[in-house]
Amino acid sequence: MIVRVKNLVKRYGELLALDHLSFTVNDGEVFGLLGPNGSGKTTAINCILSLLEYDKGEVEIFGRPMRPDAYDIKREIGIVMQNVAVYNELTVYENIDYFCGLYVEDKKLRKRLVEEAINFVGLKDFKGYYPKKLSGGLLRRLNIACGIAHKPKLIILDEPTVAVDPQSRYKILEGILELNRLGATVIYTSHYMEEVEQICSRIMIIDKGRAIATGTKDELKAMITLGEKITVESQHITPGQLNRLRALPHVMEAEYKNKQLVIKSGKGANNLEAVLDFIKKEKIQYGKIYSELPTLNDVFLEITGKQLRD
Amino acid sequence: MFTHIFCNRLKCLLRDKENIFWTMVFPVLLAIFFYLALSNIQQGEVFQSIKIAVVDNAEYQKAEHLKTALNEAATGKSKLFDLTHAAREEAEQLLEQDKVAAYLFVEGGRPKLAVKKSGIRQSIVKSFLDSYQQTAASVNSILKNKPRDPQQLLNSIGDRRQYVVEVSGTAAEPDSVLIYFYSLIAMACFYGGFLGMREITDIEANISPLAARINVSPVHKLKAFLSSMSASVLIHLAEMFILLLFLRYVLRVDFGSKSVYVVITTITGSLTGLSFGAFISALVKKSEGIKIAILVGGTMTGSFLSGMMYLEMKYIVSQHVPLLAYINPVNLLTDAFYSLYYYDTMSRYLLNIGILGFFIVFFCACTYFIIRRRKYASL
Ligand SMILES: Nc1ncnc2c1ncn2[C@@H]1O[C@H](COP(=O)(O)OP(=O)(O)OP(=O)(O)O)[C@@H](O)[C@H]1O
Ligand SMILES: [Mg+2]
Repeated sequence: MIVRVKNLVKRYGELLALDHLSFTVNDGEVFGLLGPNGSGKTTAINCILSLLEYDKGEVEIFGRPMRPDAYDIKREIGIVMQNVAVYNELTVYENIDYFCGLYVEDKKLRKRLVEEAINFVGLKDFKGYYPKKLSGGLLRRLNIACGIAHKPKLIILDEPTVAVDPQSRYKILEGILELNRLGATVIYTSHYMEEVEQICSRIMIIDKGRAIATGTKDELKAMITLGEKITVESQHITPGQLNRLRALPHVMEAEYKNKQLVIKSGKGANNLEAVLDFIKKEKIQYGKIYSELPTLNDVFLEITGKQLRD
Repeated sequence: MFTHIFCNRLKCLLRDKENIFWTMVFPVLLAIFFYLALSNIQQGEVFQSIKIAVVDNAEYQKAEHLKTALNEAATGKSKLFDLTHAAREEAEQLLEQDKVAAYLFVEGGRPKLAVKKSGIRQSIVKSFLDSYQQTAASVNSILKNKPRDPQQLLNSIGDRRQYVVEVSGTAAEPDSVLIYFYSLIAMACFYGGFLGMREITDIEANISPLAARINVSPVHKLKAFLSSMSASVLIHLAEMFILLLFLRYVLRVDFGSKSVYVVITTITGSLTGLSFGAFISALVKKSEGIKIAILVGGTMTGSFLSGMMYLEMKYIVSQHVPLLAYINPVNLLTDAFYSLYYYDTMSRYLLNIGILGFFIVFFCACTYFIIRRRKYASL
């Protein structure tokens, strides 16, 4: 057990930001914290790190209670905050060296670690740059490098890829997986379900400070009734046809909007086949037909009744 | 760890142009500005002897009293006149060539004045002559009426002497000028408050993301603070020394015989400024903007009450609310400087420095207790 959070409650005045949040992160996991803006991800991270006072609850890291002066625990953690935190007066290299130096005193070792971190985030050509001269995406990468250069056992990343272009984002995500393969446990927060789905071995979905579902992505998808979403592009469908479609077994919902027929069907095989049979029987003209498995957004939608991203 | 944080902090501070400007360049610029503005006043005050000539002929030789008066006014360190004896034509020529401001000659037993134009120097010579003639007249009339009142006689004669002393007395007291430079040093000391303030904001996680990063690192918060603060102290002391050296050797401001104490006072002042900034920053649990506003407001009020902007204020405060003078660090600092200059005994100076020392300890202790193990209600 790397992290154990029990019944964490945090209020900002009237606002209940964390509502009895509990979870555990196991050794070697990439644990995803998925939730829309304002759901309490950053608040949770800050409470875990003892940066924030909380009203109730317990936090244990590496089996020991986390406190502001638990320096031995802090030594093994690397943090990439949501807000970029670097010194404007120091260059890329100096920034990484400075933060790494807070953990690693040995100069020789540090030099190696800093070089590795620079290569890791792909800032080799920008070593001597001051942060002001970096683009938003490059700045994010520097922010990441500052947090992970000392090779910590536990890495916490709070939306590290905001404003990063798809290519760099891909590199960063690959890098995180690489760090994980090398032995680090990772906590990753994001409101991009694709990212979380791509790299996290276990995911907790939170909304309004409450955990609404936890599990692997397959487990999460298995929790909901939706099994498959079938879309048929068609010029014309009569209301009668739509009603007959809705009467089919497994079909939970069928909508015709913008010349698109969207059928949500429950768990089970042969859903697509049944729809195809129906279309043939009714002699419906169609363009494309495709089927999608549920996404985490669908999970979020079904549990909370709203979209993950609005 | 100490050197790691310390060196990086030094680097940051030295590269922060805005910081360097306000804490070093600005006071130096102000010093130059003061120097230019005040050197005019000083020039007006420092008295330069007036070059005059006197026609040295038989008549002049007969006017014993005038001879004595003139010689008296043309001797000594702060003499009124630079006197040249010359023949009539020669004197005329000197005047023509502006080598002298005026020349005197005796005609019909009475001294007369020849000038080419009118100006301050000419009128000084004229009033000297008037004063002489008046004295001579009164001496004559008193002598005519038998000296019934010898005291009056002495008084009238004394007039002329006093006249000379008054003029030259101003030149020996450049106090108004020094007071401005003392205020400037005090102000520069308190600019250290910005450095102290930044040190605190940089370890307060609810103020800056950078501080959050320091707070999650395994470095003891106090150690991080002290290492970083040491860099600020070093930088500010260095800046203050540059200012002092600049004042002393470039602008040639004379701090009197107690230069060592001026240095000690400046160091004390710098530490007061730094710790005051840190204290305000730790005390005010608000955004950085509000902290700066309070620091600037506090320093300005202190400066105003200590008479930095309006000299009378210092005396008003010490007359009506003397306690305020002792709890206002800015006043303590300027007063320490003043007392160095004005008093021969050191007791008042030492009192000021002692109270300042107490303030430094107080500010530091409070800062320590406030920032120790602080978690934040909101970030
Ligand atoms: N300092 C604060 N004072 C008051 N309310 C706050 C404060 N910080 C956050 N909140 C509120 O707490 C809730 C949770 O915020 P938090 O920043 O943890 O969300 P988040 O999941 O990290 O969102 P995002 O994806 O936008 O980063 C939000 O409703 C937010 O408005
Ligand atoms: Mg957040």
